[in-house]
Amino acid sequence: MENLMATLKAQIVEQLNLQEVKPEDIGDDMPLFKDGLGLDSIDALELIVLLQQHYQIRIANPEKGPEIFHSVRTIADFITAHQQQNK
Amino acid sequence: MNIYINGTGCVSPLETAVEGRLPSAAPLYDNIRLKAAEPDYKQWIDIKMIRRMSRVIKMGVAAAQLSLREAGIQKPEGIITGTAYGCLDDTGVFLTKMINQQEEMLTPTAFIQSTHNTVAGQIALLLECHAYNNTFVHKGFSFEHTLIDSIMQLREGKISNILAGAMDELTNHSFNILSRFNLFKHTAAGEGAACFVLSTEKGPNAVAKLKGVSVLYKPGSYEEVAADIVGFLAAYNCSQEDIDLVITGRNGDPAGDAWYEHVENNVFPSLPVARFKHLCGEYPTASAFGTWMAGRIIASQEVTPAVLFKGNAPSAIKKVLLYNHHDASHHSMILLSIC
Repeated sequence: MENLMATLKAQIVEQLNLQEVKPEDIGDDMPLFKDGLGLDSIDALELIVLLQQHYQIRIANPEKGPEIFHSVRTIADFITAHQQQNK
Repeated sequence: MNIYINGTGCVSPLETAVEGRLPSAAPLYDNIRLKAAEPDYKQWIDIKMIRRMSRVIKMGVAAAQLSLREAGIQKPEGIITGTAYGCLDDTGVFLTKMINQQEEMLTPTAFIQSTHNTVAGQIALLLECHAYNNTFVHKGFSFEHTLIDSIMQLREGKISNILAGAMDELTNHSFNILSRFNLFKHTAAGEGAACFVLSTEKGPNAVAKLKGVSVLYKPGSYEEVAADIVGFLAAYNCSQEDIDLVITGRNGDPAGDAWYEHVENNVFPSLPVARFKHLCGEYPTASAFGTWMAGRIIASQEVTPAVLFKGNAPSAIKKVLLYNHHDASHHSMILLSIC
């Protein structure tokens, strides 16, 4: 889980071109949107593509987006659950 | 109606965004690909927005902000930009991903930012300006048509100022492709952004008056251009004798420079001539840099050795004619005068 979260942070910084943000600046439970990292709706689309590209996961239910993309930990939980489900 | 250039901003291969003036000596570029000297964009753009902006957007926003600051205006009553290639870099990113990823899993940012009107849109978003917003994509006439529309908007009398500018970027892809057409065999490839705050009222930092703009597409002969220039001047109650300085778009290409030589020798045989493309390089909206330079020359009343090509610098500079062509097909004339 720790390794997955570290990888996700690096991928988020790269995919969203977060200048002056280092992966280690992103807390595991830091909210990614609004007051936390300050991401917006375009970033949400980028994160959906990130999951597809790197983890072959499609978000079937868009309404679950806010819950999945709340923080790096919630994304990692979602990926882990998805991978275990497909084993 | 007088139209004043109340503020200018320019991002170019020179340090124009920082120094805001022409160099006294021409720089010695060691490359045929001139890259814009970019200022620190964080002074104008929130870092969260910068991350999504390609260079041409940042250059355009910076030039716009510089011109607005000089004019002392926070929100213009209209925004018009001209660009031939638009946001080339983002277009390249998007198309490359389309190919590499078999048209799947495409990210939105590059697509959103790849349209030609992104620069004018970003300027409006940053300024929260809901006024008239338009972008002209007319190859070598993009800047000229921006000015023509600006003049028409101001002459209608509904607004008193407008932000007008032009910008183009050079990318690895575009440089390689354009080089294959031998466009840069004799000249340097360039890029940049220049913006102007035009107003019907003279501002405290006004640099010049914009008297008129005219374009001529694919003239059949040198004589046709010469006659068109004489007619253009006459339309603004000017003769050749009234002009103090001619600025041409000479770029070192013998075939292209022949047009300028004919005009210099036959229409303005005794006038000093300045040039600008050795400073900014060749690109479809380079005339915006030439206009910025013309404004600086009139405001400072000085033609530096860096730009003087022929003759002696005039002691008084009241009227300047900019004659430029892009690729011998898009010819334009821009007339500026002292305020």
